[in-house]
Amino acid sequence: MTDVASLRPLFAVLVSAVAIPIILSLRSRPNVREGVTLAVAATKFGLVASMVPGVLAGTTYVTRIGEFGNGISLALRADPLGILFALLASLLWIVTSFYSIGYMRGLSEHAQTRYFASFAASLACAVGVAFGANLVTLFVFYELLTVSTYPLVTHDETDEARAAGRKYLTYTFGGGVAVLGGTALVYVLTGTTAFTPGGIEALATADPTLARAAFALLAGGFGVKAALMPVHSWLPDAMVAPTPVSGLLHAVAVVKSGIFGIARVVLDVFGTETMAELGVALPLAAVAAITLLTASVIALRQDNLKRRLAYSTISQLSYIVLGLALLEGDALIGGLLHIPAHAFMKLTLFFCAGAIHVETHTDDISDMAGIGDRMPLTMAAFAVAAAGMAGIPLVAGFVSKWYIVIGALQGGGLVFAAALLISGVLNIAYFWPVVYQAYFESPEGHDEKPLLSAPLGGRSGPRADGGGETEAYGDASAAETHDDAHGAETHEDGHDVESRDDGHRGHHGGPPASGWDVRGWRGAESTWFMLGPILTAASLSVLLGVVPRTAVFLRIVETVVGSLPGVVV
Amino acid sequence: MIEHLIVLLVVLPILGAAVPPLASLRYDRVGWAVATATTLGHAAFAAALAWTVWTDGTVRYAVGGFAAPYGIELVADGLTILLVALVSAVSLGVLAYARHAGPHANTFYSQFLLLVAGLSGMTVTGDVFNLYVFLEITGLAAYGLVASGPGARSAVAALKYLVIGTIGASLYLLGVGYALAATGTLNMADLSVKLAEVGYDSTLVLTAFGLIVAGLTVKVALFPLHTWQPDAYADSLDSVSAFISALVSTVSAYALARVLFSVFTVDFLEAVPTARWALVGVACVSIVAGSGLAVAQSDVRRMLAYSSVSQFGLVIAGFAIATPLAVVGATVHLVGHAVMKGGLFAVTGIIERRTGATTVGGYAGMGGRVPVAAGVFTLLALAMVGVPPAIGFVGKWYIVLGAVDAGVWPVVVVLLASTLLTLAYFARLGERLYFAEPTITSGSTAATDGGESVSTGMIVTVVVAAVLAVALTAAVPVIDQLIDQTVFELIRQ
Amino acid sequence: MTLDLLTTHYNYYAVALLLGIGLYTVIESPNLVKKVIGMNVFQTGIFLFFITLAFRNGGNPPVITEGAGPYVSPLPHVLILTAIVVGVSLTAVALALVVRVYSEYGTLDEDTLEQLYHD
Repeated sequence: MTDVASLRPLFAVLVSAVAIPIILSLRSRPNVREGVTLAVAATKFGLVASMVPGVLAGTTYVTRIGEFGNGISLALRADPLGILFALLASLLWIVTSFYSIGYMRGLSEHAQTRYFASFAASLACAVGVAFGANLVTLFVFYELLTVSTYPLVTHDETDEARAAGRKYLTYTFGGGVAVLGGTALVYVLTGTTAFTPGGIEALATADPTLARAAFALLAGGFGVKAALMPVHSWLPDAMVAPTPVSGLLHAVAVVKSGIFGIARVVLDVFGTETMAELGVALPLAAVAAITLLTASVIALRQDNLKRRLAYSTISQLSYIVLGLALLEGDALIGGLLHIPAHAFMKLTLFFCAGAIHVETHTDDISDMAGIGDRMPLTMAAFAVAAAGMAGIPLVAGFVSKWYIVIGALQGGGLVFAAALLISGVLNIAYFWPVVYQAYFESPEGHDEKPLLSAPLGGRSGPRADGGGETEAYGDASAAETHDDAHGAETHEDGHDVESRDDGHRGHHGGPPASGWDVRGWRGAESTWFMLGPILTAASLSVLLGVVPRTAVFLRIVETVVGSLPGVVV
Repeated sequence: MIEHLIVLLVVLPILGAAVPPLASLRYDRVGWAVATATTLGHAAFAAALAWTVWTDGTVRYAVGGFAAPYGIELVADGLTILLVALVSAVSLGVLAYARHAGPHANTFYSQFLLLVAGLSGMTVTGDVFNLYVFLEITGLAAYGLVASGPGARSAVAALKYLVIGTIGASLYLLGVGYALAATGTLNMADLSVKLAEVGYDSTLVLTAFGLIVAGLTVKVALFPLHTWQPDAYADSLDSVSAFISALVSTVSAYALARVLFSVFTVDFLEAVPTARWALVGVACVSIVAGSGLAVAQSDVRRMLAYSSVSQFGLVIAGFAIATPLAVVGATVHLVGHAVMKGGLFAVTGIIERRTGATTVGGYAGMGGRVPVAAGVFTLLALAMVGVPPAIGFVGKWYIVLGAVDAGVWPVVVVLLASTLLTLAYFARLGERLYFAEPTITSGSTAATDGGESVSTGMIVTVVVAAVLAVALTAAVPVIDQLIDQTVFELIRQ
Repeated sequence: MTLDLLTTHYNYYAVALLLGIGLYTVIESPNLVKKVIGMNVFQTGIFLFFITLAFRNGGNPPVITEGAGPYVSPLPHVLILTAIVVGVSLTAVALALVVRVYSEYGTLDEDTLEQLYHD
């Protein structure tokens, strides 16, 4: 490992920060504005990618910016772990930028300038988080990331969006406060906050109670953005944001910054050995295992596609945390590899949800029966990514989960291996119905979704409205026109579960009166601004599943884990 | 000349203050020019003094040639010159703002310069009774400035401020009396030695500490002695509220620190833990209660006033914990808060002049109407919350480090929670500025104020404040070193 | 013993009484002029404290002549001269403000003012 002074990490952060005023000044010229976004995204990716070969060869690029005083420097450092996150975020920003253009214009959204400017700011912060050389620098960007994503969450300017924004700020700043407390403890205990592969030595000999408290604060604080239960509930609410935001930020940049923070704490602040000595790994693993199972179960019952994806995200993020907490070489590799793997797959899924929203204004899964006719390519990509999520071979999710399970078994964590496998089954349970009904059912003929519509415990049979609640009648009239569309296949009590949901939400989703159009497989279903990114992200997840090493990410991960003292791969 | 720098800092503004009333006989609006020229001179002296202290260490000056401890001594160490520089800088900023915003009366600028003189005197003095005199000069000028607002409402606020402020200063004077009775001296350095000789458990010494601290706490406006502050800030002119919110409480907090470290010393705090923890306790209560009251306000300037109550809790907590890290943090936050809060008050003035909005509800949708002002407001608010890398973060970070170092966990919790408490009252403004429909339509704009305009100078002032709120972070190592070099012997552990 | 304290330290009782009366008036009286008076009484208590502090039994005025010692301490007198000047200017400013408030609102009652604000 050699340190090289280089300005490249700084430029990688700054390039999108500099773009913010430019984007803001181009309010009246949207084409140039989006051009700037794309150019900056490409430059950023280029800068990050140019450091990859060096990093793989053992070089670390360091930029010292300044000092906070007392020996804490504000410095950026592109080491393997940092480059993993930075490469991922900057690569997917390009993809998402194209998609954003299609999405925002497709919906003629307001405040697009603010949107693109905030996006550029978020990416600058995300890369800053990746390259932060010590806890304080990381914290600086971590907090700035919160601030710069707030306008995106509140983008809609509705009461719901504002409430979600408030919740987002409260949760993430609360987490930030915990991180700050933990950082202060680490500094006072050891006199440094610099990341050291294998952990800061002085922590191993520090007062164990205080060290445990520091770990709890740091893991808990980062755990907020990583959506560990019970501090996850901001994430489903934040789904009120435009879909590209949910895709890139709430599946990749923001939540992964929390995950990344935990990874830094586990690998570079405490180190696996100290973690084992302090006995703090097991509680973290337990929280992760509980989160991943519970979130999967909750996801089963979400009818709104984006909310289902959000719970899926919560569950998948805990895979990563679990992988890290198991402290085994293979589990670490699997956990870290799941960062890009989940990013590619979840981005695909969110993009699909967004494309469906733009084209058909449908948000609820129960309205999507037969949508495979209307959007065949989109749903195909969805199917591929969903398969990956469930851990089916040839898609990225398989590789990472394989490593985690192996690691769990090696470490004797049978319970955790079982939790992973059960969650895999649950993954199939919540994704398969979406794919199945898209292709093999039609709006006129599709099965009941008992899990969705029945009250918990199945008290009153398969229908939600079978209980004779009075509100159901109001809904019936509200949904009348909708029912007509269902034609001959009317249900015995005059309206079905799906239309009930419609009446509540008051949007005009679902198939048109004549049923879904058939658009064929050549891209007539949407603009290529959206289809392109969807297919790109899906291909990336397959690529990572088939040739993980050639796709560089596995090599970076192996470099990260290989450089840790005391970890056997 | 060079050795008289320190006394010139006080003499120059006093002389300057005499000019505008005399000039009124012939000219109408020379006040601003006189004040600006004087303040520029003050700034030059401050810079020269800062340079002297930076290169040669602490400067001591015997007024009139009467040697300490019998004569009045002026002392400038690292902490002093920071505050002197702050007074100069903020005064210039306020003048840039007031050139257009007014008021334009000559007498206003007389009071302005008297306030500068009083504040400078408070920072450089090394004599506890002299401190009382400057405290009252500062007070008198501040009462007059507050009362210079339009309408009698500002007079009521000023009267309230005057009565409570005088009680505070009198309590301080009484405390000085006790210290004098115990030791027979008024010189700070001499007192620190003689108080130790008398013994820290002496009733006289303890009473002196209690009265002095209580008196200064009134001036700093810690909860529950803050009641003068919201009216004084909210009912005065925007130029005035920016000025006094940035400086008066700040210099009083400095005076409190000076008394803690130079008169009673850290040894006293060590020997009488009750005194230390009582002060820390008051500070913590102030943090929480100030934030709570700020959340409850609908008037933005009152909210900012209560925010000061909370922020000064942080500063005083840092000083009272008194570990080197905490003192650096408190100093950084003291300076940072002055810049941020002064800027915030100035920017509320701009927003009010442009749109007529003064309440939290009225700020809705103003992000589009006054983009620069709203941007500055948001940035300063974020800095105040403590979003890194702004100065508000650095101060808090050092204070937290100090508290962790001292192992006072309940305080650490309050300090950390203060971030969220501050967020609680600023987030709703940010949300309304940018993500809500306007409640004030452009038609009704500022009809109440006669549609006052906003000058470039005013905009530049607040933008500079916003830039400083971030850029000062780069100066923290310098502050750290200054404290280390000149104040360290006072706060050694 | 108690009687002894009373006779030797009566000046401090006077001080405490003045401080108490002053503070009570400031806090309790809704009348702005009475608040100012209370403030003055409070300050007077402090002046008295300093002046009596300087006294010593058998002390002479601090004018140095041959064999005239011991003297009373001159320092508190000087301090209090300054403080009285400060007090006078404060009172002047306060009364000016009171005049302005009265000419605007026609009342000096704090509670009435409070009501005027809310209307």
